[in-house]
Amino acid sequence: APIEIKFAHVVAENTPKGKMAIRFEKLVEERLPGKVDVKVYPNSQLFGDNKVLEAMLLGDVQLAAPSLSKFQKYTKQLQVFDLPFLFEDMEAVERFQQSEVGQGLLKSVERKGLMGIGYIHNGMKQLSAYDPLKAPADAKGKKFRIQTSDILAAQFEQVGGIPLKKPFSEVFTLLQTKAVDGTENPWSNIYSKKFHEVQPYITESNHGLLDYMVVTSKEFWMGLPDDIRPVVEKSLKEAIAYGNEVAAEKTKADRQAIIDSGRSKVIAMTDAERQQWVEAMKPVWKQFEDEIGKDLIDAALAANQK
Amino acid sequence: MLSRLLHSLHWLEEAILRLLLVAITLLVFTETVLRFGFDTGLLWAQEATLYMAAWFVLFGASWGIRSGAHIGVDAFVKLLPDFPRRIAGIIAVLMGLVYSGLFVYGGWIYVSKIKMIGIEMEDLPFPKWIALSILVIGFSLLAVRLLVLLKQLITGEADGFNHADEAKESMKLADEINEEIGMNNGGAR
Amino acid sequence: MATATLFILLFLCMFIGMPIAIALGLSSIVTILACSNDSLASVALKMFEATSEHYTLLAIPFFILSSAFLSTGGVARRLIDFAIACVGHIRGGLAMASVMACMLFAAVSGSSPATVAAIGSIVIAGMVRSGYPQSFAAGVIANAGTLGILIPPSIVMLVYASATEVSAARMFMAGMIPGLMMGGILMIAIYIAARIKGLPSQPFPGVGHLMGTGAKAMGGLMLIVIVLGSIYGGIASPTEAAAVAAIYAWLIAVLGYRDIGPLKGVAWRKEGESLIGSGFRNLFMMVLALPRSATDKEVNKVIGDAVKTSLMLLFIIANAFLFAHVLTTERIPHAIAESIVGMGLPPWAFLIVVNLLLLLAGNFMEPSAILLIMAPILFPIAVQLGIDPIHLGIIMVVNMEIGMLTPPVGLNLFVTAGITGQSMGWVIKACLPWLSLLLIFLGLITYVPEISLWLPEYIDSLKGY
Ligand code: NA
Ligand code: NA
Repeated sequence: APIEIKFAHVVAENTPKGKMAIRFEKLVEERLPGKVDVKVYPNSQLFGDNKVLEAMLLGDVQLAAPSLSKFQKYTKQLQVFDLPFLFEDMEAVERFQQSEVGQGLLKSVERKGLMGIGYIHNGMKQLSAYDPLKAPADAKGKKFRIQTSDILAAQFEQVGGIPLKKPFSEVFTLLQTKAVDGTENPWSNIYSKKFHEVQPYITESNHGLLDYMVVTSKEFWMGLPDDIRPVVEKSLKEAIAYGNEVAAEKTKADRQAIIDSGRSKVIAMTDAERQQWVEAMKPVWKQFEDEIGKDLIDAALAANQK
Repeated sequence: MLSRLLHSLHWLEEAILRLLLVAITLLVFTETVLRFGFDTGLLWAQEATLYMAAWFVLFGASWGIRSGAHIGVDAFVKLLPDFPRRIAGIIAVLMGLVYSGLFVYGGWIYVSKIKMIGIEMEDLPFPKWIALSILVIGFSLLAVRLLVLLKQLITGEADGFNHADEAKESMKLADEINEEIGMNNGGAR
Repeated sequence: MATATLFILLFLCMFIGMPIAIALGLSSIVTILACSNDSLASVALKMFEATSEHYTLLAIPFFILSSAFLSTGGVARRLIDFAIACVGHIRGGLAMASVMACMLFAAVSGSSPATVAAIGSIVIAGMVRSGYPQSFAAGVIANAGTLGILIPPSIVMLVYASATEVSAARMFMAGMIPGLMMGGILMIAIYIAARIKGLPSQPFPGVGHLMGTGAKAMGGLMLIVIVLGSIYGGIASPTEAAAVAAIYAWLIAVLGYRDIGPLKGVAWRKEGESLIGSGFRNLFMMVLALPRSATDKEVNKVIGDAVKTSLMLLFIIANAFLFAHVLTTERIPHAIAESIVGMGLPPWAFLIVVNLLLLLAGNFMEPSAILLIMAPILFPIAVQLGIDPIHLGIIMVVNMEIGMLTPPVGLNLFVTAGITGQSMGWVIKACLPWLSLLLIFLGLITYVPEISLWLPEYIDSLKGY
């Protein structure tokens, strides 16, 4: 029987991650006909983001691509990607991820039985809210919905905001009725989750990163026959590169679609304004320096230089 | 002796279940009040709520057997004469035992694996395997309950999942309440 | 092979009288063992996921708890007295008022079973008390309860919007008119049925009596104000509002009406007591009563009842998720949908097939799961055939409503059985006549797209998008 590779993810098939998974399936089945059978399960059909890594450790999922903050309990090092204003743009992110340090981070989950294969982009996060956010002081006293991460909580506390956790199914109503003031998301998430329909202002802050790590279980990966593993790996890397191209285009298209919808006003930030935010949130770096490692933070910062 | 033990188990379970339901409700309520009234939140509340809900359901499944809470389609079984109906009941309970056995086994492997890897819960400071252990506990209790029911089916004390003595049991309880509070409509529904 | 195993086992298990939850779970787990190489450990993991990651479903136990306090505490009785005083003189008036209550609640709740739980547990008893057959009452509520996912906001619509990238706001707008229409159709049907069956009506009791019952019912009526107000006022999400409702119901039953609990029979004002004296005495006793109600037998009995109903429902839902998981891993819905795509149908025929497929799926799976699987497959074909995505969305939602009422997996059926204490067969029979109304309505929605599309297009044109 062919080797079965189940690729479980939580987004739609028309997203960069979804397209990447399908491209991978196509490449592998072309190159290893009858030997490997890839099955892609989108939309959390198999397991949700919170359980997929555990299912992988049990050997029931072979590939997944959870967001980097989902690895919080597996390694502290990957939290470097959650730090606010660490990367100036996606090029810097890409440079860091491709650097020796960035590739080394893929191995940081090995101790727990997982193996990173590569990074796939979603994009830089934007701040959205019911009222316009220009200066850091505008965030004071406002309630922000965050995804699970100590750093993200600390980041909003730095500007006097109130970080809150609520599942997606509740967030939409809470934002709509103003029970929660704002949130942070990349353009593609704002668009697909329709947050721009309930958040009148989006500040183009590019303050943080939401990326995914393509991950497999060490046991499965090492168990692949020697003539198959390199082909699978090559196909996966090509698919990831393709997915990242799609991601860059999608970010542009979704940003434009949000502007065109007229439902939300996009606020641009001047360099001076941005600098205020950086100063306000930067103490978070120091706060998590011990957990993450200073050299790691420095290496990430260095990637801002071309 | 055994029946006394089972009786106290039932009582204890019900107390724990009531506590869980009230705790979940109070936690969500408190979180809402804190957010609206005091501009603050409890970052651990979401995880605590959801895990308590899981404990509530998995812990309660077995209690539900004894209390006749679980509904089924009894239209066909009711058409059968007494003896074949008990046989159907015995088969159903045996299959239920297979169900709980498979979950106890699967849950055990899952919990052991998470314990071995040693990850914590997201926001609460507990090892995750402890939170997950309800899988093994809950389905083991379910198996115990099904075994008791099996014995009752074999001896003819019960004739299906909604066993006959349940109604008497609750009447007895209602009477007890009535006596204590000295009213005559206290336990009526 | 897998499909056959799954369904034969499910029906066999149900046939021999196994609890529905275990029947769903056992047939799923055996199918997984027999037909896939998934491990038992991951099935256990899936079970844990099913019980621990559906926050919105917590609205169900919260509302059950609040209605347990309301009905035992005599609050429901006062509410029903008031409702009878209001509409009891119209034939079928109470049933119509119940539909209205469901619509109101549907307008804030995103979930259908939560609507049935919230309204049904109060009004079914009331209808029976004023002379309606219980099956009539149960059928009306189970059906009106499905409006929960059609009248915005709706969780199912949000799921559709994110699966297909259509605007959630437009989806919500599109559900408005169909929701009102379905409510209207139900009320007309009730009126006709009431005429034919000669359902009871009472003489109008007079304005004085009406005001009197209204004042007595105020404590209960406030519950609706609190739930709606806390959602629209930006205080709580629908699930949180349910928890607020539960706490409020406890307070009003134990401290306010004092029909149960530690203050039972304690008068608000004793004869000859001064106003200030009574104020202090009540305050003191109420503060004491809060901790005391934790050990109170009656209060505990109410909570125990709520535990029983909630558990039954949540355990079925958890096993239904497992069942849907098997369908998904075996790609059964995909295979069917793809074969439809291959048929190359004209739009009208495509819509018929879509309806049949969704109705079938609705018999076995939970709405959000169906939409997540089906929407991405059906959506592109619909667009090619010139069917508006919003219209397709509403068709899917109405189908999901029907799915809530069809066995073996129909959440509204389970909730109704839970709150009436009747058997599944009884509930199914009670719902049948009303279900046929929904089917006619589905036909209307399918072939008259304007019902769904007029409002969102009008509003967009107003706002100039
Ligand atoms: Na709704
Ligand atoms: Na159904």
